[in-house]
Amino acid sequence: MTDKMIVVIGASAGGPRVLKQIFTDLPMLNCSIIVVQHMPNFINESIAQSLNSVTEMEVRLFHQDEVLKDRVVYVVPSEYHAKVIQNRQIQLRQGERVNYVCPAVDVTMLSLHQEPGVRHLGILLTGMGRDGAEGMRHIKHIGGQTIAQNEKTCAIFGMPKEAIETGCVDWVLPPDQIHQKLIAISRTPTSN
Amino acid sequence: MEKNVMVVDDDLAVLNTVKRILEYAGFQVMAVDSGAACLKALKNGFHGLILMDVVMPEMDGWETIQTIVDQGLAKDNIICMLTAKETPDSRMDLLKEYILDYITKPFAAQQLIDIVTEYIDYLPSV
Repeated sequence: MTDKMIVVIGASAGGPRVLKQIFTDLPMLNCSIIVVQHMPNFINESIAQSLNSVTEMEVRLFHQDEVLKDRVVYVVPSEYHAKVIQNRQIQLRQGERVNYVCPAVDVTMLSLHQEPGVRHLGILLTGMGRDGAEGMRHIKHIGGQTIAQNEKTCAIFGMPKEAIETGCVDWVLPPDQIHQKLIAISRTPTSN
Repeated sequence: MEKNVMVVDDDLAVLNTVKRILEYAGFQVMAVDSGAACLKALKNGFHGLILMDVVMPEMDGWETIQTIVDQGLAKDNIICMLTAKETPDSRMDLLKEYILDYITKPFAAQQLIDIVTEYIDYLPSV
């Protein structure tokens, strides 16, 4: 039996075009993917539509209290932090910036918790600062897996570098290999 | 929808090169050589994608973007940094949500066209 799987992808400057690379031709996967991209709010819908146009999965903006579904990619809207409650439900809230940003990747990743039958994957892409580093460490500590974008393909190798320095990153990969790894992991029918 | 791009750079060689590349690719390009000129263009109704140099005399790229934000001129405009500096300034921390990408000079013409083409589609219609 395949476990439930939650993927959180964090990105900042340079992220939209890397996300496009990762999602292009991405087949239907039995997992929920949450995208936390630092961006101005007026392009939220455009980003979601752009990704939706290149993958078989459904890509859309999160709504308050929405229950996570498999085969859906959720884009966190600007100016809201997104927490995953009990690995199932999304809670959006406006609040203080964390790591200078809202939404913060750390807030979403740190809200995940260890649970039998639930797998977690954290992916941290290009961007400045250290948002996501603690979240990646947390995912590793609760038994999940982690991928950071490699330096050569990053517009800014800040966030991935900080995550790698925590010692909690399993793979450092370019976008095309992140695409492949995401497919491979989501199709691995194993329980922890 | 018109594909408007504003290039902001005090280096006239860069300014002219970027303008020529993007015009050849079919974009409407406004080239300005200072942060002040960028602000003036925005106040005059420019709407589109802004390619912003970081190091400029008087008002640098960060100060210009901060002023754009403070004066409410960021709405509906996408900003990408265009810079020779490989390491971004920590002042970007506070502006992260307004800066969608960071393009390091020198860049290939096709790379620039690809990035601008990608982001111009994110702009809302006005």
